[in-house]
Amino acid sequence: MGTNMRKKTQVSFVIRDEEERRHKNGVSSLQLDPIQGRLYSAGRDGIIRVWHTGGGTQDRYIQSMEHHTDWVNDIVLCCGGKNLISASSDTTVKVWNAPKGFCMSTLRTHKDYVRTLAYAKDKEQVASAGLDRAIFLWDVNTLTALTASNNTVTTSSLVGNKESIYSLAMNPPGTILVSGSTEKVLRVWDPRNCSRLMKLKGHADNVKALVVSRDGSQCVSGSSDGTIKLWSLSQQRCVSTIRVHSEAVWALLATENFTHIISGGRDRLVIITELRNPENYMIVCEETAPILKLCFTADQQGIWVATSDSDIRCWKLPPLNSLNSDMYNQNNYNTNNVYQTQPLHNIVGGRAIKHYTVLNDKRHILTKDTTNNVVLYDVLKACKVEDLGEVDYEEELKKRFKMVYVPNWFNVDLKTGMLTIHLGQDETDCFSAWVSAKEAGLITENDQKVNFGALLLQALLDHWNHPNRVNEAGLKVVGNIYFSVPLHTPLIFSEVGGRTLYRLQVGDAGGETEGNLLMETVPSWVVDVAIEMAAPKLNKLPFYLLPHSSCQSKQDRQKKDRLVANDFIQVRKVGEHVVEKIVGGGDVNGTSKNEDCNNDSPEERVELLCCDQVLDPNMDLRTVRHFIWKSNVEFTLHYRILKQ
Amino acid sequence: MSICQDLGLNFQQRMGANISQLERDIGSEQFPPNEHYFGLVNFGNTCYSNSVLQALYFCRPFRDRVLEYKAKNKRTKETLLTCLADLFYSIATQKKKVGSIAPKKFIARLRKEKEEFDNYMQQDAHEFLNFLINHINEIILAERNQSSLKLQKPDGVKENVTCNGSIPQNTEPTWVHEIFQGTLTSETRCLNCETVSSKDEHFFDLQVDVDQNTSITHCLKCFSDTETLCNDNKFKCDNCSSYQEAQKRMRVKKLPLILALHLKRFKYMEQYNRHIKVSHRVVFPLELRLFNTSDDAVNPDRLYDLVAVVVHCGSGPNRGHYISIVKSHGFWLLFDDDMVDKIDASAIEDFYGLTSDIQKSSETGYILFYQSRDASC
Repeated sequence: MGTNMRKKTQVSFVIRDEEERRHKNGVSSLQLDPIQGRLYSAGRDGIIRVWHTGGGTQDRYIQSMEHHTDWVNDIVLCCGGKNLISASSDTTVKVWNAPKGFCMSTLRTHKDYVRTLAYAKDKEQVASAGLDRAIFLWDVNTLTALTASNNTVTTSSLVGNKESIYSLAMNPPGTILVSGSTEKVLRVWDPRNCSRLMKLKGHADNVKALVVSRDGSQCVSGSSDGTIKLWSLSQQRCVSTIRVHSEAVWALLATENFTHIISGGRDRLVIITELRNPENYMIVCEETAPILKLCFTADQQGIWVATSDSDIRCWKLPPLNSLNSDMYNQNNYNTNNVYQTQPLHNIVGGRAIKHYTVLNDKRHILTKDTTNNVVLYDVLKACKVEDLGEVDYEEELKKRFKMVYVPNWFNVDLKTGMLTIHLGQDETDCFSAWVSAKEAGLITENDQKVNFGALLLQALLDHWNHPNRVNEAGLKVVGNIYFSVPLHTPLIFSEVGGRTLYRLQVGDAGGETEGNLLMETVPSWVVDVAIEMAAPKLNKLPFYLLPHSSCQSKQDRQKKDRLVANDFIQVRKVGEHVVEKIVGGGDVNGTSKNEDCNNDSPEERVELLCCDQVLDPNMDLRTVRHFIWKSNVEFTLHYRILKQ
Repeated sequence: MSICQDLGLNFQQRMGANISQLERDIGSEQFPPNEHYFGLVNFGNTCYSNSVLQALYFCRPFRDRVLEYKAKNKRTKETLLTCLADLFYSIATQKKKVGSIAPKKFIARLRKEKEEFDNYMQQDAHEFLNFLINHINEIILAERNQSSLKLQKPDGVKENVTCNGSIPQNTEPTWVHEIFQGTLTSETRCLNCETVSSKDEHFFDLQVDVDQNTSITHCLKCFSDTETLCNDNKFKCDNCSSYQEAQKRMRVKKLPLILALHLKRFKYMEQYNRHIKVSHRVVFPLELRLFNTSDDAVNPDRLYDLVAVVVHCGSGPNRGHYISIVKSHGFWLLFDDDMVDKIDASAIEDFYGLTSDIQKSSETGYILFYQSRDASC
């Protein structure tokens, strides 16, 4: 573990409830298990959730499948519902035991966000692709047979894509694979021998949705250019261009015999179109947000719709032969003319945090979510403090303003709709905040200083049975003596701004497997502080100390003392220094150490000023520099003697 | 370096011969009334300044405003702008038609104002132009604040905030803004949610990359090509609250009165650990229209005429010489420090660059000044 490693790994955690039963962010993908009557939904909160579809069940929630650390972009249910494959922006593809909901293995072959999956049902083959331009083919039966000891997997890759891939499709027999990318072309392969078959040009923008007919002779594409195109793969040409949407098309679903296409996208409309007669189409419903995925109900009479909002709704489809009826006629975007205005079912989602402000104490964060609900969090203890409801955010911020300055020591990320906190050693050093334990409310007596980052890392890793963590008596030493963090807190080790190395829950760190993996992953700068209990470096703050211009002593006017102190030192301490070293020094006008004055506190003998403002002795130096001096250079304090 | 010093030494002899030659070349009846062609003496590697000053002098709107400033502002405190105004005034009021002048006060002031220029080293003409325009603009703004608003000096302000081509809020544009400032609009489209966000920024000059055997129009097209933000350079999308791929392009929204184009001919080469001159041939037309304008551009049809070119001569950024060619009353002049020659318009081609990539010394257009036709008198 060299300095390189030190820089590279960051520690992150998510502040959340133990059980998050609702999607907290948009839903990227859906899969239905018609036999079990279960719906799988892939959340941009990083969680795959499983729902009952049958009956009028009050609570449809079954379970959560948690292991991804970023958006889950696509899922495929395979092996007759036994396994689920997922693709995520955390750059991994995961294999899950679908009924039980646990992660069986993680494939780390991709180097960038994995955006899309394709499934050849007859061959149990899955393809994955994404922003690294690579397409990998996976044999599902090999993937599910992977164990901890036998975890090497061979994969074929389809190369030749020049740009990021946003869509993939395969036909059930696995004879045709099509990819769509920002290159604006469709590339077609034969996955059996990985050979390139053709390149189809025609779209004017990114291709975001694809479906292939069972026999592999036809393909439908949906593009950000707003069109849907029907292609004949046998003739290698575009058969027709369907213009029913007013904005980008992001989701496609073909009926079983490939007669109709159901589409959705940025204009929030679900539209069903007859492929051979595109003038026959009907708006099925209008959603509340751009549509990301469509999925049939078990009886194919309805569709489940996923959007960039967290709700998942089920809508009734019109009978296919009714499309040319006069009732819901076409050729306009009149959304009053939609087939259904009320969904059959609605799986209500939760709220995503959209805004946050780190308070001046650099410990609390105020957040506002999609419904303007305001919540206060405590980063140090990784928990929610108070749900304030729909109150005025700015007002709450103002209310909590404190004139204190604490250096930044963490970064905040809202990608999952929940608070993810990153601790690292980069521009933001997680050990930069030293504070008084008393002021932080951790203890009541003495003036001990604690380091926020160190305390938090200790709490996050307190369950890890590291071999160096045992005292002479053979007992485990607790790292953080002040507080603990919730056991369910997801703890993530990753490359800075990049790939996830390891994710576990704080409470699971005590396990043997987890312990071994932690030994491999935790960087030395974390071990030093969290396990070896090394104290992080103190922050030194240089400043100049000068007599105030109102001072009468002439020869001292020009004297500029350059001093260095810990940044959390209070102004009082500087005052004491002035009394001891300068005033008490006895070289001012011959008045050597005046015995009578020793009864007075330093505050009564000198006052300190910055930019001509008299300073509160309780204020610390970094706060003075930040709020009064307002610059990082030539920080200068003046002293004025009140009593000789 | 050696070129400049040589010129200094031969100053006396050449001057006499040259002046008469220039007057003879132009012809006394053709010589424009009220115009003066004066070379600027080199004080040791000050050709970067001389070439830019000559180019600016022949940007008529700029010269007129500087002389107007001189007329209006009766000697207050010496600034770089008063020095420039004195210099321009001195050229404009010479009794002789041609000759040379020593911009002594200006150079002295420049060396006081900016540490980087306080030596006898080679300097980058574009850096100097950039500094000069911004600095003059700040002087005007500061003087305006002092006279009209009588703002008391704010306490505790430690650093001067240098505005890099951007208008400070709540301020009327200065005449520097009116002449050189254009607006760029950058549009970024997130490839996930496809939301387009656009941001405007002001510029005093456009900096374009140069490609071999191309034209300025091509350079401007490349300048406005769509760039994909991907890999480690993803775009932080507000709507998605995450890093996503995005497509970004920059287009001109407001075309300036005088368009200054900086050809990025000095490229940092990692393998050599230094800047290398790129002598690629880039044709710059005498007339120019911009095609990389945004859909909501204010004045997309402006037609520009080439009025001045700062030329870099030599093989690298730290060795070589700067000269300028300017258009005045229909003919072209070459200013090489204190020397002034009339040249044929066809000779401009010599400054396009080299067609072969073999690294050798070249005389290439470096900063181009295009003046909008609706600006000329």
